[in-house]
Amino acid sequence: MSTASASATASIPGSVSAAAPSATARTVASSGRGGRRRRLWRANLAGYAFLTPNLVLLGLFVLFPLVSAVVISFEKTNGFGSGTFAGLDNYARLATDPVFWRSTFNTALFTALVTPLSMLLGLGAAVLLNSVLPARGLFRSILILPMAISGVATALIGVLVFDQNNGILDKLLRFAGLQTIPWQSGGAAAFTSVVLVTLWWRVGFNMLIYLAGLQSISPELYEAARLDGAGGWQRFRFLTVPLVGPSSFFLLIMNVIYSFQVFDIVFVLTGGGPQNATSVLVTYAYNNGFVTRDQGYAAAIGVVLLLITLVFTAVQWRASRTRDLVD
Amino acid sequence: MELNRRTFLLGAGAASLPLLLAGCGFAPPAADSTAATGTLTFTTWGTDAELAGFKAAIDRFQKANSGATVNLNAVPYGQMFTNIDAQLQAGNPPDVFRVPYYTFGSYAGRGQLLDLSTQLEQGFSDNFTPQAWAAVQNSGKPYGVPHHTDTSVILYNKDALTAAGITNIPTTLDTAWSWDEFEQVMKTLRGSLPAEKYPFAYNWQGNGVTRWLSWLFESNGRFLSEDLLTPAIDSPAGTAAVDFTKNFFTAGYVPQNNSVKSTTLAADTWYAQTSAMTSGGAFLIPDATSTLDFEWGATFSPRNERSAGDFGGNALVATAATTQPELATKFLAFMTEQEEMSQFCASASLLPTRADLIQSGIDFAVRPELSPIFVGQASSVQAQDSSQVASPNMSKIITVLQNQLEEAFVGGQSTADTLANMTSGIAAATAPA
Repeated sequence: MSTASASATASIPGSVSAAAPSATARTVASSGRGGRRRRLWRANLAGYAFLTPNLVLLGLFVLFPLVSAVVISFEKTNGFGSGTFAGLDNYARLATDPVFWRSTFNTALFTALVTPLSMLLGLGAAVLLNSVLPARGLFRSILILPMAISGVATALIGVLVFDQNNGILDKLLRFAGLQTIPWQSGGAAAFTSVVLVTLWWRVGFNMLIYLAGLQSISPELYEAARLDGAGGWQRFRFLTVPLVGPSSFFLLIMNVIYSFQVFDIVFVLTGGGPQNATSVLVTYAYNNGFVTRDQGYAAAIGVVLLLITLVFTAVQWRASRTRDLVD
Repeated sequence: MELNRRTFLLGAGAASLPLLLAGCGFAPPAADSTAATGTLTFTTWGTDAELAGFKAAIDRFQKANSGATVNLNAVPYGQMFTNIDAQLQAGNPPDVFRVPYYTFGSYAGRGQLLDLSTQLEQGFSDNFTPQAWAAVQNSGKPYGVPHHTDTSVILYNKDALTAAGITNIPTTLDTAWSWDEFEQVMKTLRGSLPAEKYPFAYNWQGNGVTRWLSWLFESNGRFLSEDLLTPAIDSPAGTAAVDFTKNFFTAGYVPQNNSVKSTTLAADTWYAQTSAMTSGGAFLIPDATSTLDFEWGATFSPRNERSAGDFGGNALVATAATTQPELATKFLAFMTEQEEMSQFCASASLLPTRADLIQSGIDFAVRPELSPIFVGQASSVQAQDSSQVASPNMSKIITVLQNQLEEAFVGGQSTADTLANMTSGIAAATAPA
């Protein structure tokens, strides 16, 4: 066996040479493996070097606070200094706290409404704006514009619209001789106002992702479907919807995580009122952590929120059939 | 050293880290109070007039104390106390900061503030009104100086009241409308105003819920007993206060979105002429004068068993962690000298806490004719009222008041249930940890 063939044999991982290699061949093979290991090690090192800044920031600003929050959730705190270990007291308190359950229900309802509505409206807008609609560039810009505004500014605009005395909406209703809506003092109306402002803010993002998904679909598929006699609805239902599956999966996860974490719009628009009708888990955690300075209890709410989000994401990840359909 | 891509990335990462940390509020303050002797950091929020007043006072303090430097750190109110709390927790707080009286107790009661009892000169407390001095006490010791106060009076739209035939407006504290007279005024206005306009709006939104306590104090009531721990709100005075204010909503005297958890402030409701009257502090005067296009005046808050008011405003405090307690104390004392307080209050439309300035009166730079009304109303605050608001548990009590008043005003919860729930909530808030 030549040294070249010995080397070639050794280069195939897991291969077994039919004959025992000579000492020279072993030396060359060993040297070849060492060189490749060094190159691999260097490549890995370069990869980790690029990852390091992100890993450091992730560790510092995500993992460390996350672990700290879990630790604090087992403590009794008064806002300053170290807390004292309280076991599961904070979690036991959650179980009997009606405002926590109300906030959990509101968060779930908000998620159940905002996620499908923003995806449906986003997909509808994307399909429309992916067609030969006149001035579609203008419409795209109008829909995307709210994304450029912060949640707080969006909510402040919402206050101008939904103020039940001087807001634009109730003034229009009054002008038209219709019954005004108690956007601020009625629980259901206040919740609706939060959902509407959120949709205005989020639909543009959903549209943008769907638009990118739609533009990666080959027009020949639609042409073939048309030749096969598929109507507009059938093309949408059996071509568009499955082919934007990866976008839908991404948006589902993003919208659910966003909805569970909603804070700024609720905080500015309704403050959680009236009578906790719009209180959500994050506003409730904020009130406990920064208003009453009960940080242990606030951390326990945060941990519950984290668990809910993790469970939901894991279930979606396992259940989704379209998550890996990326080119 | 050869500059390749890796070293560049490493260097750029290292260089950007402090910026990232500073952006997240983790970096220490620009002025390191431990490094420079005679340098204080002073964190505050403020209106333009207040910040100008602070800057001018700091200049005078530095001139009067050669070698002393005060670095003013002005922050938005919304970030003020999350920042202060984080700095206290991290062990790098400012030397001095400004704090509302209703939040003062949360810091003083948890060992975060400098005990001034051994730092201040003998007789220093005599400079202040009893109610002002009571507002900066914790366990019988002063942990701050009362820099200024503010209290709410009735601001009214002159045309709206005149149109309703209400022309006899009280001009002295003694002749302030009684509760019955005030209700009659609101009833008259209700009859003369269209359905979408309202007689009144009250400024109890957010932390302003402590202003609801004025109705309790006017009925000679308390929410805490003299031990400042035991709930005392379930009383005839408490019943009167809840009943009277609940009726604002049921009788349509205030808009439905005027409740304690509303995001619409009472002043904005009045500015928009949705209400004919509002309860408001002197700090509103400059803004109202420059922006409102209707004629408006001010009169005293209604009285029941007695006149009362909210002890609003702010104290100046030094942190327990300051490395320069003597200089910090000197600065606090300087800021409450007669001339300093007079100038600050006049320019920012705020009320003094010094007894001599209350005695001599003060002229606001804007609408000076309104000064006696605010000063007079402030004199109705009693030390027994302000000392309760300085409770270390006030931030938890505020949450209890907000939840229960919201239930009473918007949810129609009975007065008896409201007072019972307030009692249990306050008891839980003041219970030892």
